[in-house]
Amino acid sequence: MVSINYSSREVCCKIVYYGPGLSGKTTNLLYVHSKVPADTRGKMISLATEADRTLYFDFLPINIGSINGFAAKFQLYTVPGQVYYNATRKLVLRGVDGVVFVADSQPDKMDENIESLSNLEENLREYGYDINELPMVIQFNKRDLPGVMTVEELNARLNTKGRPYFEASATVGNGVFDTLKLIIKMVLEKAKNSASSRPKPTVSFAPAQEPAAHHEPEPEKAPYPEPARPQPSQAAAEPVATATMPEPTPAPQPAPRPEPEPEPQPVASVEPTYRPYPGSEGGPRVSENTSVQGSSLRQAASSHTTATPVMEQRQAVENFQSAKTAPTMAPSVKRRADKEKKRGFFKRLFGIK
Amino acid sequence: MSDDSLIIYEEEINQIDTLISKMLKGAEAKCALLVDKDGHLITRQGFTHSLDTTALAALLAGSFASTKEIARLVGEPEFSVLFHQGKKDHIHMSLVGERSILVVIFDDRTTIGMVRLYAKETALELAKIFEKIQGQSNSSEQRDAGITGDFTAQAQNKLDDIFQD
Repeated sequence: MVSINYSSREVCCKIVYYGPGLSGKTTNLLYVHSKVPADTRGKMISLATEADRTLYFDFLPINIGSINGFAAKFQLYTVPGQVYYNATRKLVLRGVDGVVFVADSQPDKMDENIESLSNLEENLREYGYDINELPMVIQFNKRDLPGVMTVEELNARLNTKGRPYFEASATVGNGVFDTLKLIIKMVLEKAKNSASSRPKPTVSFAPAQEPAAHHEPEPEKAPYPEPARPQPSQAAAEPVATATMPEPTPAPQPAPRPEPEPEPQPVASVEPTYRPYPGSEGGPRVSENTSVQGSSLRQAASSHTTATPVMEQRQAVENFQSAKTAPTMAPSVKRRADKEKKRGFFKRLFGIK
Repeated sequence: MSDDSLIIYEEEINQIDTLISKMLKGAEAKCALLVDKDGHLITRQGFTHSLDTTALAALLAGSFASTKEIARLVGEPEFSVLFHQGKKDHIHMSLVGERSILVVIFDDRTTIGMVRLYAKETALELAKIFEKIQGQSNSSEQRDAGITGDFTAQAQNKLDDIFQD
């Protein structure tokens, strides 16, 4: 989905290059990266295997500069093409605005193309997208190789819906920019038609934004210490008040807690009902440098903030837990310890050494 | 969900930034990013000058997404918190509402417990703001001021300039 940030005046779109393995998706991005001016592109990131096959995705951010006062940013992603990477391939499609389907024009790759296309449709469907409504451009790649199929044949097999297509040879760059330009245009058209907003952005628009300014280490909107901001005190005070009130989940727990009898079992029964975070019960699980235990940490932390009712309750829960869990032993250990104690008693009674 | 654009206004960003910088102060962390699950950076606070936040946002979102899949495979709907421990710097990620991730980068001046505590409080607050944003964008009927026909045409001209073989 197109992300529009009125505060930093940015429009951000996500374009995914999809297609079978070795069809040239990463090559497309590499070509764009090599040809686009340095102030327009960000750093290209490739999560690839040792053998340079895409493992998760390649990522190339492009900032085409300020348009109507908005910095237009495009994030180009590729997916891993190999069939068995479907789990990660699907993840990359999340929030996609436009797809470039890179097909391999060689006859023996046709089955892979078809499979990949149906996989795309299936994965999009899982995210709730309709492939017919999503901006999509097809790129018939590797046209420079001998013995490739004709465009008519390719269209007949892969482009039955009559989508826009381009012939390309990504290694030399033919058709790469044409494809990219068209998909960007389609994405913006779609965004224009579907974007809706509230009446008026409350930003005081700063027209002095230069295209390049966005790719330098971008200017912090708020320099670190925040006094520049007028509302914080009032805005901050308000959220705190609301922060503490509606946190219903941990609050009701303390009440039923005291009822169960103080057997060793509560350790097991208390845990699952109150699960603040996986592994939040303290430092030991996480790191050696957190010498403080979870509960005392919270106490320390709560002294930082104004002690809110929720925190008090939470602390009460934790105190209760630690009070209960600390002295108890695992049943098997306890039994053994009891047995030892008894034996000691009889030994002493009968004077056995 | 697929058609919902994320549209954020100055007002909300101010609220979000205030909350996040308050959290940073409380937890004594270095910086924080708010990233949406698609990999877009929403906002950032603290010492982020030396960071490539665009790439960071994409990678963090990717990392979170893959963890979600892992969670699904082991029978959990989602892991709501992720923690990466380094030698000096550590990263704590937590889920905010349905579609954003609060990322806190911190070092040994503070502890994971503090960060976790403050991040949790902040995430709840942020989730409310996002709910509000969602409600507003659903209810509004006006067309967007940012992307107009002119915008597309201008973009097209720029593209022709930039993308030259």
